[in-house]
Amino acid sequence: MGGEGWLFLFAVLMAAALLFTSVFFIIMFSDLECDYMNPIDLCNKLNQFVVPENLAHAFLCLLFLLSFQWTALLINAPLLAYNVNKVVITKTHTFDATEIFRTLPQHKKESFIRLGFYLLSFFYYLYRMIVALISESE
Amino acid sequence: MAEPNQLPPGWEAHWDQTHQRFLYVDRESGQQQWEHPLENQPQLAFAQERQAPVANTKRRQYAVDQAAAYSEPVAQYADSSYPPQNIQQPVTPGYPQTFTPGEPQQQSYYQEQQQQYPAQPAYGAGQLADQFSGLGIGGQKPLALHSVNLLTTPPNPLELLAPPPPIRLPPGASILDSPLANADPSYMRCTVGAIPKTAALRTKSKVPLALVLSPNRSLGATEPPVPVVTDTVIARCRRCRTFINPFVQFVDGGSRWKCCVCNMNNEVPQLFDWDSVNNVQADRWSRPELSNGVVEFIAPTEYMVRPPAPLTYVFLVDVSHSAVQSGMLAAACRTILENLDRIPNEEARTKIAIIGFDVALYFFTLLADATEPSMLVVSDVDDVFLPQPSDILVNLTEARAALEALLAKLPSFFAESQTIGSALGPALQAGFKLISNTGGKMVVLTASLPTLGVGALKAREDVKLLGTPKESTLLQAGDTFYKTFAIECSRATVSVDMFLFATTYQDVASLSCLPHYTSGSTFYYPGFNAARVEDVKTFVHEFGEFLASPVGLEVLTRIRASTGLHRSSFHGNFFLRSTDLLAMSALPQDHSYVIELEIEETINAPYVVFQCSNLYTTAFGERRIRVTTLALPTTSNISEIYASADQVAIAAYLANKAVERTLTHKLEDARDMVTKVVTDLLNAYKETVTSAGGQLAIAHNLQMLPLLALGLLKHVALRPSAQIPSDLRAYAHTLFTTLPVQRLIPYLHPTFYALHNMPPECGTIGEHGVILPPALPLSSEYLERHGLYLMEDGLTIFLWVGRDAVPQLMMDVFDLPAYDALRGGKYTLPLLENAFSQRVNAVIGKIREMRRGVYYPPLYVVKDDGEPSLRMWALSTLIQDRGDQTPSYQQWLGQLRDKIASTGY
Repeated sequence: MGGEGWLFLFAVLMAAALLFTSVFFIIMFSDLECDYMNPIDLCNKLNQFVVPENLAHAFLCLLFLLSFQWTALLINAPLLAYNVNKVVITKTHTFDATEIFRTLPQHKKESFIRLGFYLLSFFYYLYRMIVALISESE
Repeated sequence: MAEPNQLPPGWEAHWDQTHQRFLYVDRESGQQQWEHPLENQPQLAFAQERQAPVANTKRRQYAVDQAAAYSEPVAQYADSSYPPQNIQQPVTPGYPQTFTPGEPQQQSYYQEQQQQYPAQPAYGAGQLADQFSGLGIGGQKPLALHSVNLLTTPPNPLELLAPPPPIRLPPGASILDSPLANADPSYMRCTVGAIPKTAALRTKSKVPLALVLSPNRSLGATEPPVPVVTDTVIARCRRCRTFINPFVQFVDGGSRWKCCVCNMNNEVPQLFDWDSVNNVQADRWSRPELSNGVVEFIAPTEYMVRPPAPLTYVFLVDVSHSAVQSGMLAAACRTILENLDRIPNEEARTKIAIIGFDVALYFFTLLADATEPSMLVVSDVDDVFLPQPSDILVNLTEARAALEALLAKLPSFFAESQTIGSALGPALQAGFKLISNTGGKMVVLTASLPTLGVGALKAREDVKLLGTPKESTLLQAGDTFYKTFAIECSRATVSVDMFLFATTYQDVASLSCLPHYTSGSTFYYPGFNAARVEDVKTFVHEFGEFLASPVGLEVLTRIRASTGLHRSSFHGNFFLRSTDLLAMSALPQDHSYVIELEIEETINAPYVVFQCSNLYTTAFGERRIRVTTLALPTTSNISEIYASADQVAIAAYLANKAVERTLTHKLEDARDMVTKVVTDLLNAYKETVTSAGGQLAIAHNLQMLPLLALGLLKHVALRPSAQIPSDLRAYAHTLFTTLPVQRLIPYLHPTFYALHNMPPECGTIGEHGVILPPALPLSSEYLERHGLYLMEDGLTIFLWVGRDAVPQLMMDVFDLPAYDALRGGKYTLPLLENAFSQRVNAVIGKIREMRRGVYYPPLYVVKDDGEPSLRMWALSTLIQDRGDQTPSYQQWLGQLRDKIASTGY
């Protein structure tokens, strides 16, 4: 298995992991709505995951860049830009327990969009991995 | 003014305590009005009066006669063709003045109740609505919807004092038909008196849906206390945990009760009909929770996670140079010292600690047997620790002598202090360490911007940002410490109160975050200087009342509502812990909360119930639950929604919503939101009720809403301006979210009185306290050059002196020979040996004490040709005038009309 195959195998695993974080976020938000959890614990818990999630995504983008996978990079660029804006520039990435109930619909929406994005990219990476493997074996 | 006993047959006069005037009721038609029926004769058109005030020679008598005409206004009014009511009570011909409450039967019941419960002064004479609501008499006529054309109806300030439209519950809604079954509007009121059955109807009507509540409101001296259920038998619904209330139904021969919120059938507790004191069978119907909308239960041990905590105060006092120089330190110490006896301490459990801070922290050990306090200095503010585990927080009764000695000496300890800087954050952390296991109150008194340790703030106010879209960033917390620490405090049930005194920028927006999330209060005294006796008086009064007020601790508040109604958003000072659970570290008196409601599913029930329960520890260590219940009928008729809408509650909702919008968006968006709500409402009204062109119609009971909205837009909190310091804006925002409606409404729509020609009985003690002059419309057209006027918004009083004021007036009121000798600014009015001076002082005294809350408005004397900034400030209370960038009332109505015409769907 060559470089491209390894890269996309890694990407598939990453996408799966990111997929799970999004699902985790959504479950946590529903827990808050159903009063199984208080907002302080929720925010403390979720805030631990925000930066690692974004870093993981950024790392994946970096790998695509270094291996000149322009299409894959292009697909991820909008989300990367959005994350950079949120974490580095405006610093609004952390969940605020005092505001969480007001902003909950927004957060849920964002998590669902992320979930969809990771799901699609998961299948794309899988496809690219298979394509890479087939082209190698020929 | 006509005597109330000279009434035409069929009329009755009722003294209304809140408004200091008689309410005249026609028993036949049920019509109610403020003015005497015999005086209600055809009057001069209002517009005419406005156009030609000069022609009215009687009103210019002061200047012409140069005599003390004001002191003998009897003659003036006796032959005047303009009785005072005519001026401020324009009447649209052929249009009934107030609502028509219904049948004579109800009237007589109301009158009985009025005698039975005479002492229940409430904002907007709430008892009216309350008593009607409890009647449950069959065959009621629907509320009559009267439209008024705003373009031809000048606003009438008295409308704001009218009670909200009566609540018409279906017959049999409350089991005992008690007049007190529904909570008084001063405790809980809704923006509509009839809840739309479907969300579509709500959207169509465009009337906002929200509850305005003030569960721990102060009681006047004559008001009966909230009834208390002492036997700890608390019947609650198994499913939704609603407390039993006057709107439940007993089924199965009284052995079960049906919950009015979720329709669940519940067992009646065994001891419900048992008098546990005398061990005899008791009458169920005498239980207060079945007849009262506001009731208090003594909670059994199931409601305690730990023994009730004692009342604990930690005073964090700024001892830096600016605090010493402004005299804040001395004034604060003196006030605490003088009010030690007033701090609630019935069980001798109250605990107190005093911590000083500048760039270091100063702890004081207060030993019970030592009268000499010793000071411990901690200068490491990065890692705060308590220098001694005990004797810092002491029992007020035991260490009284040491406390008194400390408070007397504290100002002199730091008299020579030249230290500049403030380690407020570390001081807060130290105070928190001291009381984190019991909870309590931290009272911060500071005159400087925090500059050291955690929570240090920058002087971030940039005049270039003011008036730009970026301005709202200055109104948000400048450091996350003020949010994270607030959450920590909320968890430990520690409440923080802020008293701010800085002469320069202090970042009120950040500092007020702590009281906001911990249910405290913020007080701001910009430019405080103890050398001015007025400053000291205001602060000492407010701080003293604050210390003396009975405060609740360890509070959990839950708002329940009937199925189909969702509580979507909450405004006020608390931390929202779950979708309907408000965690409050304290239950301060006279704070108001606004809860937005959404209709999630179609409501089929004939009426819905809202219940607010506050579980709290009283200042004397008892765990109690205060339950406030409000039942409202539902309707599928849009005109009933309009006819029952409550403009005062809508204004409170708008103010809270505007603050939220400012913080999350921009000031501009908040203003647009207010305009949009009013425009949509007018538009929907036009679409569904009236179709006549060329007018701007609105329900009679909403006619002041456009002016209230204009007052909101012109308020210092929202006004477009590049000159308003962000501290003042932030403080106005905190007031918007906490003031009870009784104070919020004058804050938006100030009151304007003419004093020089007030009727002779004004300022004298009437049957129900000092009689106030009639309020004038808020327009400078009513200012005459020789007059003496008073404008007040509940937090500031302006005494406007016209430039042609006669020497006699100056002599009588100010004890000064002439107008030129008068100095503008903060003023203490002398009490002189003449009737007029005493009446003016009585009116001012009445204004200062008539509303709920601890505020003691300072008095400013404003000279007609005096200092421009003060003059502008005073004139800004006249909200019907055109402002710098804001329209006059007529222009505003024109804008609204154009907006509606252009949308025209």
